Amino acid sequence: MILKMSSLVSMAMRQTPLTCSGHTRPVVDLAFSGITPYGYFLISACKDGKPMLRQGDTGDWIGTFLGHKGAVWGATLNKEATKAATAAADFTAKVWDAVTGDEVLTLAHKHIVKSVNFTEDSNCLLTGGNDKVLRIYDLGKPEAEPQEIAGHTSAIKKALWCNNDQQILSAAEDKTIRLWDKNTKEAVKTLSFDASVSSMEYIPDGEILVITYGRTIAFYSAHSLDLIKAVDAPASIHSASLHPEKDFFVAGGDDFKLYKYDYTTKEEMESYKGHFGPIHCVRFSPDGELYASGSEDGTLRLWQTAVGKTYGLWKCVLPEELSSENSEALYCPPAEIKA
Amino acid sequence: MRSSMKTPVSVLRLPRGPDPNSRGFDPNSPRFIALCPTTVPSSSSSGSADEGEQRLRAELRERFLRTLLLMTGKRVRFDMHEHVRVHARFGASDIDVLNLQVSDLETPLGVQREALLRCQDVIACSFEA
Repeated sequence: MILKMSSLVSMAMRQTPLTCSGHTRPVVDLAFSGITPYGYFLISACKDGKPMLRQGDTGDWIGTFLGHKGAVWGATLNKEATKAATAAADFTAKVWDAVTGDEVLTLAHKHIVKSVNFTEDSNCLLTGGNDKVLRIYDLGKPEAEPQEIAGHTSAIKKALWCNNDQQILSAAEDKTIRLWDKNTKEAVKTLSFDASVSSMEYIPDGEILVITYGRTIAFYSAHSLDLIKAVDAPASIHSASLHPEKDFFVAGGDDFKLYKYDYTTKEEMESYKGHFGPIHCVRFSPDGELYASGSEDGTLRLWQTAVGKTYGLWKCVLPEELSSENSEALYCPPAEIKA
Repeated sequence: MRSSMKTPVSVLRLPRGPDPNSRGFDPNSPRFIALCPTTVPSSSSSGSADEGEQRLRAELRERFLRTLLLMTGKRVRFDMHEHVRVHARFGASDIDVLNLQVSDLETPLGVQREALLRCQDVIACSFEA
């Protein structure tokens, strides 16, 4: 049996999550940008009303978007990380310049806004929230009325562009996920569940939809909405994310733990403790090297996909190096103290 | 392998947290410098209209900063959201004008010896020069 060197290192090393502090209330949503010439970035939505931008590979804080007057429920970045959008309990969605941190646009809604999503070209913004209506804003003509798509019978939790921005996927408290045609504004397909869908992730490369509800993590084709496979976790799951290369997926929820599964075999590979509260969101970075989790405990944590690999702030240290002079520059986390 | 036997992965340092004094977005970062054009045009090729606007902006900004200086130590009335109107002695503003440090803030619950007012909550301030 041939084991990769990285697997041998992973087997010998214990995962050290990197904790990003700064938020003072639960972190409810997070999103990564694409890979830019300056690396990739991470935005976090928090009930304290102050979404933050961080460097994606280190978790270093870059800035805080100030302006919302209520809990921020959703946050997103465009691919180039030049624009950010946020959805808040103050009945507005805001668009921000993600380089300067300045507020660019405030889009008034009639109720709490829960979800925001840019098209690939960053020209349109999709919003969804408690007024049950999907809205499409043309960011080139912000004073124009948005196009509206109605149909859901309860609050919308998540709305995403899919299939080359020609269709829209929305998940709502009415326990349905609907696929809409952007032009006809008609529902092309509807999926019904017994429980409310807790999260949704769309993977453009491969057209896969990752959905969580109850204890289940399910994978669907984004075109046909046919079920590909489903896995049940030991606890209620709030969010899951599929690795870009589709070999793993991670999930987190009520029991504060992060689970890592093999996508092909559906087997649980690892589980990690660390958060002090339920996990609300989890996402893989665009290069798949790490995943970030946001929790009720107010923190974001970054986790390595290949434990022990040198990446970002993590440094691969061979046993001999630990006792040498070089180790002074490294921070070795103390052993976990069990409560 | 028991997880308690494993060595934890070493870390160079912890992620940097927010700066308590500013909202961040460092204008000296390589990304900011590359992606944001300079606010003041260096040549007059863009027309004197821009120059005129910049001069007016600079004047207004200077007037605002001088007003803040003049307000120091004075009793100021703050009109805030939700029909809140309070009086206090103005101390100082922070660098980004996010918070105002005041003393003897008169509130319906009593006089607060020292307080910070959030600028985003303040609509107007008035005082006798």
